[in-house]
Amino acid sequence: MTTLLSFIVLVLLFIVLVLVAKASEVSAELKGKFDFFNQSKINGYLLMGFLVLMFVGSAYSYKLLAPVMLPKSASIHGVQTDKLFNVTMLIILVVFVLTQVALFYFAYRYNESFGQKALFYPHNNTLEVVWTVIPAVVLTGLIAMGMYEWYGIFNVEKRAKDTLVVEATAKQFNWMLRYSGPDGKFGTRIIDTEHITPTNELGINWDDKNSHDDFMADKMYIVKDRPVLVKIGALDVLHSFYLPHFRVKMDAVPGIPTEFYFVPTMTTEEMRQYLSTQEWWQTINPETQEPRWKTFKYELACAELCGKSHYGMQKEVVVVTQQEYDEWVKGQTAIYSTVAPKEPTPPAADETKTALLSH
Amino acid sequence: MQTAHTVEHAHTADHSHVHGHDEHHHEETFLTKYIFSQDHKMISKQFLVTGIFWGIVGGLLSVLFRLQLGWPNETFPFLETFLGKWAEGGKITNEFYYALVTMHGTILVFFVLTGGLSGTFANLLIPYQIGARDMASPFMNMLSYWFFFSASVVMLFSFFIQTGPASGGWTAYPPLNGLRDTGVNLGSGLGFDLWILGMSLFIVSSLLGGLNYVATVLNQRTKGMSMWKLPLTMWALMFTAVIGILSFPALLAGCLLLEFDRLLDTSFYLNNIVINGQLLGYKGGSPILFQHLFWFLGHPEVYIIILPAMGLVSEVLSIHSRKPIFGYKAMVLSIVAILVLSFIVWAHHMFVTGLNPNLGAIFTLFTLLIAIPSAIKVFNWIGTLWKGNIRLSSAALFAIGFVSMFITGGLTGIILGNSAIDIQLHDTMFVVAHFHIVMGVAAFFGMFAGVYHWFPRLYGRFMNETLGQIHFYITLIGAYAIFFPMHFMTGLPRRYYTYANFESFNNFNHLAAFISVAAIIVFLGQLIFVVNFFYSIFNGRKVKGEKAADGYEYANPWGATTIEWSAPVDRLHGNWPGEIPTVHRWPYDYALKDREFIPQTEPLKPGEVENH
Repeated sequence: MTTLLSFIVLVLLFIVLVLVAKASEVSAELKGKFDFFNQSKINGYLLMGFLVLMFVGSAYSYKLLAPVMLPKSASIHGVQTDKLFNVTMLIILVVFVLTQVALFYFAYRYNESFGQKALFYPHNNTLEVVWTVIPAVVLTGLIAMGMYEWYGIFNVEKRAKDTLVVEATAKQFNWMLRYSGPDGKFGTRIIDTEHITPTNELGINWDDKNSHDDFMADKMYIVKDRPVLVKIGALDVLHSFYLPHFRVKMDAVPGIPTEFYFVPTMTTEEMRQYLSTQEWWQTINPETQEPRWKTFKYELACAELCGKSHYGMQKEVVVVTQQEYDEWVKGQTAIYSTVAPKEPTPPAADETKTALLSH
Repeated sequence: MQTAHTVEHAHTADHSHVHGHDEHHHEETFLTKYIFSQDHKMISKQFLVTGIFWGIVGGLLSVLFRLQLGWPNETFPFLETFLGKWAEGGKITNEFYYALVTMHGTILVFFVLTGGLSGTFANLLIPYQIGARDMASPFMNMLSYWFFFSASVVMLFSFFIQTGPASGGWTAYPPLNGLRDTGVNLGSGLGFDLWILGMSLFIVSSLLGGLNYVATVLNQRTKGMSMWKLPLTMWALMFTAVIGILSFPALLAGCLLLEFDRLLDTSFYLNNIVINGQLLGYKGGSPILFQHLFWFLGHPEVYIIILPAMGLVSEVLSIHSRKPIFGYKAMVLSIVAILVLSFIVWAHHMFVTGLNPNLGAIFTLFTLLIAIPSAIKVFNWIGTLWKGNIRLSSAALFAIGFVSMFITGGLTGIILGNSAIDIQLHDTMFVVAHFHIVMGVAAFFGMFAGVYHWFPRLYGRFMNETLGQIHFYITLIGAYAIFFPMHFMTGLPRRYYTYANFESFNNFNHLAAFISVAAIIVFLGQLIFVVNFFYSIFNGRKVKGEKAADGYEYANPWGATTIEWSAPVDRLHGNWPGEIPTVHRWPYDYALKDREFIPQTEPLKPGEVENH
């Protein structure tokens, strides 16, 4: 009923609006020629008003939202790309203010109600060169800085030897996280119908002894200051491996392996300590009835539309010390002990099968 | 008011198309005049009205999904009344949510801002502004509209089938959209087949139109109309068509291969797919290949959307500032630069697909370079306003709003185009804010500027100014209210039905509701435009001109130099009753020493040198 009523009110409002607008037009015409002069005057002031409103609104939304805009970066490269983000933001902020002020001020100052004569001024080559060269120089700087960071992130040669390797495989609607176990070596995976079964979706090759201590984790444990290499894959459709706090994002593509290398710099506990000093994180979480920082956790999300439950592909990420990590590993159960066949099947004779090797 | 009709009305024998008023009665039936019309003006109206229809549908879809995003815990019982099983208990289901965002994107990008925008203004303005009786091929032009119409029917139909419309994103990425019968995605059933059919028809329409626009501008110009005498609208619309001709075929190929994967079990895009622990038989394809094909159109597409708007805005700003466009040649050259660069930036949509880092670096370079011609255009628009004598009509206001939006949205492109920063921002709400401002809202502003300005040319009446200005302020303030704060959702992944599963993304509930309220207000504000448009067609203030010796009424309501106003107020088939006027000067002779403006049709005075 209220829906119907508000609908009727809206329609009536529209009719009134149209009638008023029509009336103003008719009265203007009765006075003589339809004249824009007064409208230009009013609109000039309104545009200036809008300019002020826009800056006040921008500043207010910055004040309100900047504290929650980006989570604090907890990886080495993340700190760098955040810096680049901030530098670029500052530059464009200057351009934004200058151009918007010029645009709206000129629209106000040179509207016809001031009664000036327009100036015939079709071009100025010096000006054109100036406003081509300045952006070109600034952009070159930004491109250079961006490329430096970009190549730093994807430089394979600079990877550390003690890198922790995690295999993350996405499917609808879950992340499967495989660790190599105490031996530090992953069992190979074989992509054929013999190996891939509902109990072994990854196609792990049980004949490969390295697979026997591999385990699946329900939370992603990584170690502070120890580089992580995530080997990313997908079984069914595209997904994207997204760790917002570590500035990590890489698509998971069926049939094409991808990876991302990064170094976490803060344990979960350290991040909680840091957040306990931040205003927003003091607010009470209605679910736990505690300040939000106390239950803070790093999270893994999916960032590529993968179907109707795309928004639910959440996993917790825990950053710990090496010692805590070692203890956690001890507590895990190898997949082999739960799902592998009691007697290993003899190696298949099919030579064309593809082996997807991990180390 | 000065009529630019200086050409003596003489029935010379040269026309194969004589349209003297005394002969103006080809027996046109209702069917040939209003439905299967080959007249560019009627086709323009058809595109515009269809575009407005799609605009309302696309906007309404966004209101529906904004209800979910703004108030994820509320129910809206009236939704169930309208949507049935898609909103059981008054809450939009996740499947339907994804259908809504998918179709919102498809409709607005293709059916409104490509078909509606280019279709309307290329058809209306090209023959009028270059001095032609019609398009190079009026028949192809008619086909172009009817392919667009068929595409529209197919897309609309897909809303009413069992599986619902396509729901795998407007980018249609496989494998999500490449697997038909495995149940991975309900919306990837028949609904997506219809999407491909609809898009294919749309591409045919776009190519038929585009070839025609280019051929017409290059071949049909009137006497004296050299390329450097073309108004910027013509340059923009012609280059838009060139981009479309070169890039749409890639999407068509991409879509057809996708349909082969779906129906014929080929493996163009599929490799080693495992569903429920079962390995499917697809071998050797690459999902990334589709992304290359898609974005080879997809990125030029944003320029297909924005260039016509830029052309319209350049023209409107100059006319209403009563001052020549600043840096005419720089404006043309920057369009050319944008055209070339638009083809080599597509992989910036794919920075995190695992492509070779060298590719990421190269595409960063070209992507940021495209900011230079864009910046030149912005400075020239601002330069045009400087020391003008600006008439702040609805058209001018929307043109100014366009520049403001283009600045705001364009600048954040510099952040996103940098691959290192994009790692974090890719597929987040920051991207959504960026492209909605720069190509969505800005293109709409350009389109509105065009509609308010050329409405008298289309219908012989004005749109209501008061309503137009109210429409402008609601849209300007509202669009900023929606998209400016959205930039702060820097880490939030887009295409999320709810953020409740993530602590990390849970800090924006009030903002989401605020954005939704603004979106609803802006949507209602657009209805003011719709009412104004249809009301003014029949009841708008009439354009009053002067009757010339030939019995036709001529008017130049905005005091423009271009030759579309040298044709009679009535829209004649063939545009000019007599000979087509000859052009003598460039289109921006405003603010001259002794004259406020001089139409293009007026010969240079003895000894006068064009000094631009």
